Amino acid sequence: MTRYTRLVVAAVLLMLVAGALIFFYAPEDFLQKEPQRIFYLHVSAAIAAFACFAVVLGASIVYLRTESLRADRLARAAALVGVVLTTVTLVMGMLYAKPIWGMFWTWDARLTSTLVLWIIYAGYLLLRRLAEPGRQAARFAAVVGIFGFVDVPIVYFSVTWWRTQHPGPVIINDALPPQMLFVFLVTMACTLFLAAVMVAMRYQIETLTDEVPSPLAQLVGAHREPEPAR
Amino acid sequence: MTRSISVAYAVARKDLTSEWRTRELVPALGQFVVLALVIANFGFQIDSRNATVIAPGVLWLALVFAGLVAFGRAFAAEREQASLEAMLLTPASAAAIFAGKAIAAALLLIACEAVLLPALALMFGTPFNAELVAAVLIATVGMAALGCLFAAIVARVRSREVLLPLLTLPLWIPFIVAGGQAVQVAMGARGSYNQAVALLIDFDILFVVLTSLAARFVLDD
Amino acid sequence: MIYLVVAYVVAVLILGGFLWLSLGTLRELSARASAKK
Repeated sequence: MTRYTRLVVAAVLLMLVAGALIFFYAPEDFLQKEPQRIFYLHVSAAIAAFACFAVVLGASIVYLRTESLRADRLARAAALVGVVLTTVTLVMGMLYAKPIWGMFWTWDARLTSTLVLWIIYAGYLLLRRLAEPGRQAARFAAVVGIFGFVDVPIVYFSVTWWRTQHPGPVIINDALPPQMLFVFLVTMACTLFLAAVMVAMRYQIETLTDEVPSPLAQLVGAHREPEPAR
Repeated sequence: MTRSISVAYAVARKDLTSEWRTRELVPALGQFVVLALVIANFGFQIDSRNATVIAPGVLWLALVFAGLVAFGRAFAAEREQASLEAMLLTPASAAAIFAGKAIAAALLLIACEAVLLPALALMFGTPFNAELVAAVLIATVGMAALGCLFAAIVARVRSREVLLPLLTLPLWIPFIVAGGQAVQVAMGARGSYNQAVALLIDFDILFVVLTSLAARFVLDD
Repeated sequence: MIYLVVAYVVAVLILGGFLWLSLGTLRELSARASAKK
């Protein structure tokens, strides 16, 4: 238990270091001024979220092939962390968009597919909660996890294509000056570490809820008890 | 291979004949789409100028909601569950059974489109041509495969009315994007019809293959 | 600017809150698990 507390403390400290860099070391952007600093954590969170969903994809495939309980637990853990990180991405993104573009939201490819990503894995979590705990929930969720992951690049591609038919707001991607790039890479590394710690904690939680029947188990849709071999 | 085809055919026929006997779903869907058109007319204040701009959106809105209802029912009935289990006891592969159900559901949706498209042309004065029909039919294939897969998943889950749209709509978005564009162009807007339809066909192939592969994890128990 | 501040405050609340809740859940489950043994 203290192992996890130590990991959390380490992750928090790293994020504070990143925060200090973001606010005190990174130079102010010439065009976008202060709000540009949002970008560091916003993009890092997005990348960490994608990493989590890639883990869900891998674990789901493994589960469908081997019915490994551990794979299912990992999928559950990573999906939850991914949704949390995507929420951070979306919220920060909207608060970034408003001062820069004047609108909280535009239907461009990246925003749309991030929103779709959120919806898909929120659905994944809801399905887990509502389905019969056990093999059925795990199988269905694995299918959703795989389809969801495949869908996101397709949605991104569709909207990008659609934009060629209906030109809309263009997101300018400046190359980052070295100081900013450094701060971004550090922030991303710290965020990935934080994500890993969160997944590890949730994985342990899932393992414990699988093995210790309790009202809590119903909340996270855990397996009720070891399934008899088929 | 031929056995799979005959299984799929048998399943599709069973679903369609039971729908024909009760005859409740298609009329209900038909009513729904007409109602949707009437509401859209007043909600959007359709006139001859904005009709072709708004009609594609109305078409896909109505179709998506009708589709959700249709697929929600595909696996719904209680005796449906029992007969499904009985079918799975046979050596017939889950993919064949799934294909049969998806075909039946697609045909139901097409019956719905047969009401929607003429009604749209009639009430909104938009063009009604082969390109329009082709685009909608092509999109229906992929949408039916996906709708059927997720209907099978939520059939045995609580709150399926909430869960089905939540799971299905994100996967239908590419079809709505490309299909919406195709319908717009078919109705006279600028843009590439061929590109849109090519995309639809690509999506169809991708998702038909994926859903067939996933069927055995979802139907088997 | 206010957007910058709100953005980071919200992020800290979400991530920090999630960490806090997870740690709490972990503690409770571990206690329950060791009580069972």
